[in-house]
Amino acid sequence: MPFMTSPELLLNPVLICRNEAEKCLIETSINSLRISLKVKQADELENILAKKFLRFLSMRAEAFQVLRRKPVQGYDISFLITNYHCEELQKQKLIDFIVQFMEDIDKEISELKMSVSTRGRLVATEFLKQF
Amino acid sequence: MASFERASPALKEILLRIYNAEKPIEVDYHLYEFGSVEYHIKSSVSEPQVTYLSISTPFLSQGVFLSYGLSPFTLKMVRQISTDVLHIVEPANDGYQLTLRLDFSKLPHNKESLKIITEVSSVQAVILSSQLKEMLQNVNSWDSSQAMYKPIKLIYHPKEPFYVIRQPQKIVAVFPMRFKDNSDVIIATSFFQELMDVVSLKKWAKVPPCNWSPIPPLELRGESFEDLSTNGGFVSFDISSHHVEGKRLDKTVWSLLNFYAYVKHHVKCTRGFIQRRMRRRLDNLVEVLEKSRVEDGQIKKGGER
Repeated sequence: MPFMTSPELLLNPVLICRNEAEKCLIETSINSLRISLKVKQADELENILAKKFLRFLSMRAEAFQVLRRKPVQGYDISFLITNYHCEELQKQKLIDFIVQFMEDIDKEISELKMSVSTRGRLVATEFLKQF
Repeated sequence: MASFERASPALKEILLRIYNAEKPIEVDYHLYEFGSVEYHIKSSVSEPQVTYLSISTPFLSQGVFLSYGLSPFTLKMVRQISTDVLHIVEPANDGYQLTLRLDFSKLPHNKESLKIITEVSSVQAVILSSQLKEMLQNVNSWDSSQAMYKPIKLIYHPKEPFYVIRQPQKIVAVFPMRFKDNSDVIIATSFFQELMDVVSLKKWAKVPPCNWSPIPPLELRGESFEDLSTNGGFVSFDISSHHVEGKRLDKTVWSLLNFYAYVKHHVKCTRGFIQRRMRRRLDNLVEVLEKSRVEDGQIKKGGER
C-alpha cells in the first residue's frame, strides 16, 4: 500500500456531500481505496446511537475484512479495500455491500431511535399505572 | 440499588427455613443489605416456635425522625403486618431500631403462612414507606400562616437523595438525577420527555403532574451545591390529596421510593436492547459480505472460457 513516501501513487480524492453533516470521502491509490463516511446525527440521541453502533462495528472489523478499526479523523467509519480484497471478493457485490451498508446504517439508527422512544413511552405508561 | 420487591429475599428464605424445619434449629444470623440495612435473626432450640428479628436501617429523613426512634405511626404500620404472629419487643436490642418476636405457632397451616412470612420479610420497606406516608397523609393540612417551606431531604439509597416540599394543597417530590455515563443521561432524558408527554394526555389526568428540568427547581435553590449538581436534571411530581386517598397512598409512596430504581432499570434494559439490535444487524451485514466471495468454481469457469 502506498504510504506518504510515495505521493505520486495517490490519486485525487473525491468528496461527496449530501449536506454539512453527511458526507463521503473516497481516497484512491494505485492498489487500494479508502472510503470514509460521516453519518447523519440530528440530535443527541442519534449522536450516541450512531457512536455506539459504529464503534461496535469497528471493534469487530475483522468480521468485515474491508472495515478499518479506526475511522479517518472527521468521519464516523472507514473502509479500506485493497487489491487483495478484490481478488477474494467479487467487485460488483463489494460495491453493493458498501452501498447497502450506507443505507442500513441510516436505517438502523432511525429505527433504534424510534425503538428507544417507544420503549420509553411504554415504560412511562407502566410507571404511571401504579398511581 | 433498591429492589422493586418489598420483601428481602434473603430474610424470607431464612425465615421459611426456620418455619419449615422438621426439628427446632439454633439460628443466629446477621444479614446485611444495600450497605446500610442490618438484620439479626435469632432462634433457639429452647424456644422452638419463636424467632427474634432485629432491624437496623437508616431513616428516610435524618432530621425529622432521629431523636426518638420509630414514630408511633411506623410502629402501628409494623404491627399491622400480623397482629397474631408479630410482637414488638421494647426496648429493641442494642444497635437496632426495632426487635420483633415472631411466634410461628400462630401461623395458619395453609398458603397464608407464606404470605405472612413474606410480609414480615418486608418490614424494612414498611418502616421506610411509613415515614413517607406520614408526610404525604397531611397534604391538605398545610398551615397558611407558614410563610416559608423548607425542602425535606429523604434518603432511600445512600447516594440518591430526593426532596419533598410542602406547598398549598400539594406536596412536591423532586428527584435530582445522576448517571455515570453520558449515554445513560441521554437515554434517561428521552425517557423523562416521554413521561411528561404521557402525563399531559387527558387519559392520564388523574396521575401526579410530572415535570423535568435541566436546572434545579426554585424550591431547591437554597440547598447545598453538592446535592444540586446533577447531569440528568430534576424530575418532580406534584402529589395532591386524591393521590394519597385510601389504598392509593401505599402505591404512591412505593412508586416514589422506587423512582430512581425504575429509571436506572429502564436505562440498563435499553442498553441491553441496543446491544442486541446491533449484534443482529452486524450478523446481517456480514452475511451480505460473505455472498460476495469469489468461489473456486467461478474462477475455473472464467479460466476455461
